[in-house]
Amino acid sequence: MSTLTNVRIAAVGDIHLGEDVRGEYRKRLEGIEERADVLMLAGDLTRHGTLEEGRLVADELRDLPVTTVAVLGNHDYHSDQQDAIAGELRDAGVIVLNDDGVVIECGGTKLGVVGGKGFGGGFAGKCASEFGEREIKDFVAHTRSIAEAWKVALKEMQADRRVVLSHYSPVKETLHGEPLEIYPFLGSYLLAEAVDTVGAELILHGHAHKGSEKGLTPGGIRVRNVALPVLGKAYAVYCLD
Amino acid sequence: MEAPQYVAARIQQALAEDARTHELGIHVDVRGDQLFLRGQVSGTEQRERLGQVAHEAAPDLRMHNEIKVVVVSEPGEDEHLD
Repeated sequence: MSTLTNVRIAAVGDIHLGEDVRGEYRKRLEGIEERADVLMLAGDLTRHGTLEEGRLVADELRDLPVTTVAVLGNHDYHSDQQDAIAGELRDAGVIVLNDDGVVIECGGTKLGVVGGKGFGGGFAGKCASEFGEREIKDFVAHTRSIAEAWKVALKEMQADRRVVLSHYSPVKETLHGEPLEIYPFLGSYLLAEAVDTVGAELILHGHAHKGSEKGLTPGGIRVRNVALPVLGKAYAVYCLD
Repeated sequence: MEAPQYVAARIQQALAEDARTHELGIHVDVRGDQLFLRGQVSGTEQRERLGQVAHEAAPDLRMHNEIKVVVVSEPGEDEHLD
């Protein structure tokens, strides 16, 4: 029987690095190995999603002393260079999730991380559905297929503890502070529903710069919005006790 | 005269779509001949670029760039999830 050890997760999203701040974020990561076992990045690592910015982010995160897992965000998709950006990050030693999972050894505990960009659609009772025009159906179907992929990845994962990493939000509590009118573009309850079905200990997301840090899924899983402007610090650290 | 709501929407769209900024979370208010920009960004240069793009989108308005630059501090206290 495996005994669970504490796992310390450093997390941040929406670092939006650009040439004018080169080297700044890396400085903030100094000593991270004293504070955390793993760093998770919740998307929007770039501003415009160009390959140049992707390379800059890769340089900033290269060979960190802790395992680093990232997902991309909508900004990282803007220039249609998301695959190349993911490639640059992987070359720099970052694990990039794209609706799949990875198991990391953390002091004898197998930490499973499932995730990807996620997508929007809104929250139960006030959301888009697969009805009407093709464009709306495609929009909702995109989120639904992502949620399904996460569910499968979580189910298949052989891990002691499970965490989900997303860019878009699975719940509306962590959007508190954002205008209600844009909630459907900030996340989808389908993401939470998928994770609640299989189970996880924590869901991390970014995207909502004006949102709030803490929320819960309907199934009681802790959700944390780690967008940099929400945290106001280089990263947050969550200890799974 | 264009209604202020449409002017504000046009400026907001410019801030999101202009390749110099691509900033989605800026609050834009137009009151009379005054333009107010609010929100948070990660650097002073981005704040200046947002001001520039907003000014180009509505050159006749007197702009108040109230965008705040977030100072990224050291990580603070850990949260224990038990």
